[in-house]
Amino acid sequence: MNNIYFIIIAIFCMIFVFVNVRKKKFSISESFWWMVASFVMLLLAIFPYSIDYIAKLIGVNYPPSLFFVLCIIFLVAMIFRNSKRISAQQEKIIELGQQVSILKAKVEEDKNSKR
Amino acid sequence: MVFIYKQGKQPCFFYENWLISIIIYYIISVVIRMKKDKVLFVIPAYNEEENIEKVLKEIKRDVHYADILVINDCSKDHTEEIVRKNNVHCISNVFNMRYAMAVQTGIKYACENGYDYVIQFDADGQHVAKEAEKLYKHAKETKCDIVIGSRYLKDLGYPCPFFRRVGTKLFEKIIKIFCHKRIADPLSGFQCLNRRVIERYAKMGNYPEFPDANLIIEMLRSGYTVEEIPAKMRLRDAGESMHGGIIKPIKYMIQMFYNIFFILITCPKKKVKTDE
Repeated sequence: MNNIYFIIIAIFCMIFVFVNVRKKKFSISESFWWMVASFVMLLLAIFPYSIDYIAKLIGVNYPPSLFFVLCIIFLVAMIFRNSKRISAQQEKIIELGQQVSILKAKVEEDKNSKR
Repeated sequence: MVFIYKQGKQPCFFYENWLISIIIYYIISVVIRMKKDKVLFVIPAYNEEENIEKVLKEIKRDVHYADILVINDCSKDHTEEIVRKNNVHCISNVFNMRYAMAVQTGIKYACENGYDYVIQFDADGQHVAKEAEKLYKHAKETKCDIVIGSRYLKDLGYPCPFFRRVGTKLFEKIIKIFCHKRIADPLSGFQCLNRRVIERYAKMGNYPEFPDANLIIEMLRSGYTVEEIPAKMRLRDAGESMHGGIIKPIKYMIQMFYNIFFILITCPKKKVKTDE
C-alpha cells in the first residue's frame, strides 16, 4: 500500500510541470527533463522492485544506493547544464549591452548634429 | 594603357609601359603614407568625476590629433556631464560591466569606425599623455601589434605596494618561461593596440574579466608581437583602486592563474615571424 502515496506524488509532480508549461512560465524544451524525471518516479512507484532487479544486474549490493546515485547524477547534470547556459547568456547580455550603448551614443550624436 | 603592335613581334605591353606603372605605384604609395592614422584614446571611467577633467585637458593639450572616447561604465556621479561639458565623445554603458567589458566597448567602437590605433588610458590620472604619444610612435615605427607602457622596465621612481610588485614579478617569470619574452609589467593597463589587435579583440567572445597577463600570453602564443617601452606614471590622486581590499587581490590571483593555465592548454603555440 505504501507505493500508492508515491504514485500520487509522482502524478502530482507531472501535473505541476504540465501546469507550469501551460501557464507559459516554463518553456516546453526546458521542461522535458523534469517531465522525464517525474515519469521515471511514477514507474518506480508502480514497479518498486525494478530497482532491485537493475541493481542485481549491475552488481550493486544495496539497491537504494543505486537509486540515490542516479538521483545525484541527474541533479548534477541539470546544474551543469544550467551553469553552461548562464555563462552563454552572460556573454550574450554583455554583447547586447555593448552594442546598445554604442548605438545609443550614436543616436544621441545624430540628434545633436541635426539641431 | 596602350597596346603597341609591331609587325612580326609579340605585343610588348610590359616593355612600353613599365615606367608609367612604376610612377603610378610610387604615387599611390606616397598617398598611402600621407594618410594620417586615426588614433583613439579609450578611457573607461567609473565614478571619476574628480580626475577626469584634468585627464581630458591634458590629452587635448599634448596629443591634439587624437580622438578621445570616454566609456562611462554606469557611474553614479556626474562623470558623464563633465565629459560632455568638455566636448568629448562619451559612450554610457547601459549597465555596469566592469573594467574589461568597458574597454571592449571602446574597442568595438574603434573597430566599427575604422581607427588604426587604440590607446588604453586610465581615467584616474595615473598615465601621462606625453607617454601615450611615445607608445603610438613606437607602434608605428616598429609595426608591432601591442606596445605596453611599463612602470618597471627602467627604474622611474614609481613607488608601489609590496604585494603588487611580487605579483608582477611572478607573472613576468611565467611569461618568460612560456613565451620566451621579457615583459616587465604585464599588469599595466597602458597599452597601444594596432588595427589587427583591435579587430581580434572586438570579435573575441570570451574577453577575460581581467585582461592582463593572460591576454598577453594568448596574443604572444597566437603570433602577435608585443613590445614594451618604459613609461612614467603618477600616483593616483583621488578615487579608489580596482584591486583594493584583501579578498579581491586573492580572488584576482586565483582567477589569473586559472586563466593562464587554460590558455596554455588550449592555445597552441605558433612560431612568431621575425624579420631578423
